[in-house]
Amino acid sequence: MANLKDIQRQIKSVSNTQKTTRAMKLVSTAKLRRAEELAKRSRLYAGKMNQVIAEIAGRIDCSKVGGLDNRCFKQIENPKMVDIVFVTADKGLCGGFNIQTIKAVNKLLKEYKEKNVKVRLRGIGKKGIEYFKYNEVEMFDTVLNLSSKPDKERSDEFISTSIEDFLNEKIDGLHIVYNGYKNMITQELHVNKILPVDTKGFDCKEIQSKSTIELEAEDEEKMLDALLKKYVSFNMYYSLIDSVAAEHSARMQAMDTATNNAKEMVKSLNVQFNKARQAAITTELIEIISGVESMK
Amino acid sequence: MDTFKLEILTPNGEIYNGEALSVVLPGKEGEFGVLAGHASLTTLLEAGVVDIEKEDKSVESIVINWGVVQVDEEKVIILVEGAAAIRGENESEIAQALDEAKKLINEVADSSSAIATVSAKIESAAQRLI
Repeated sequence: MANLKDIQRQIKSVSNTQKTTRAMKLVSTAKLRRAEELAKRSRLYAGKMNQVIAEIAGRIDCSKVGGLDNRCFKQIENPKMVDIVFVTADKGLCGGFNIQTIKAVNKLLKEYKEKNVKVRLRGIGKKGIEYFKYNEVEMFDTVLNLSSKPDKERSDEFISTSIEDFLNEKIDGLHIVYNGYKNMITQELHVNKILPVDTKGFDCKEIQSKSTIELEAEDEEKMLDALLKKYVSFNMYYSLIDSVAAEHSARMQAMDTATNNAKEMVKSLNVQFNKARQAAITTELIEIISGVESMK
Repeated sequence: MDTFKLEILTPNGEIYNGEALSVVLPGKEGEFGVLAGHASLTTLLEAGVVDIEKEDKSVESIVINWGVVQVDEEKVIILVEGAAAIRGENESEIAQALDEAKKLINEVADSSSAIATVSAKIESAAQRLI
């Protein structure tokens, strides 16, 4: 039977941990509320933006209008090099949040390796970067402190390299992998193929039944380029905001579980402590009684 | 007169969502108006003022800094980067909105003449309200 003092010390340490985890949960809850609000407001825009792009892509694919020959809409048969951007958290203690993203990236890396496609890995967020560094996976570039505080300017700057390289035919594809927010208790892993724009899944007949597309600009190419740049950089930014919201919800959950576990632990330690105390009293009583008996 | 559905979205949420009789947009090639039943069209917008004629014939002005518009027969969707609506209950609120709108324009427009044109439009929109 463990020493009474030892158990007491353990109880104290566990309840201190419980206090910390509870505080972290409260902090995450507060931060989540803000992040969620931001994500919610952007979601509408992101959806519509993707819809507009998808519609243009679909129409170009179906009707081949006006000899539009934009690289972003062509499905490249044999890609040589692709960019994979992953977004993880800068901090841990959020359950399986980061590892899920890392696993998805690994899967994607393996797929491309089998197809003999070179991959440029671009990392956002300390946890993912640490993982790939440790496993000696080469990364093209990395950014810290962006995933915890999404900033439009920095995100634009980061993603513009990929856009430029895509337009200059240095790379043939762009994926963004991140863990997004679904609701308070679930996160949803997103592996988004941003470039080239996916034109599959469009019903040409349905699109052609509507009136044809008319691009009201002298320079259609330029307009599409400008639009695509906005589309890619907004998608990047949205991934970041969505990821922050998901991170906080994951952490909130992890800390809630931790607090509950600590509670359980304190409970069972208390039982153990009481048992030990009772045993000590019993032994003491027996000692006194036997002492009295022997004096008779 | 027929109405159409008009949506103006910014990364920070919706700024306008409702029926409209007509809308005037600052296109890359110049201003153009859209009525219900307009042919499909997708184009870029420049920094400028979007004038919306609502169902009750009142006009609302929204200043934008960049945008893309998708028009089809039933609806018009405008995606903008930054927008400020010139609206308000009283004079001080309108003045505040006016300041915001001017700030937005000053940030993007590169030529002073462009700024001047848009500013003048904003002022007149505000005058209408007061």
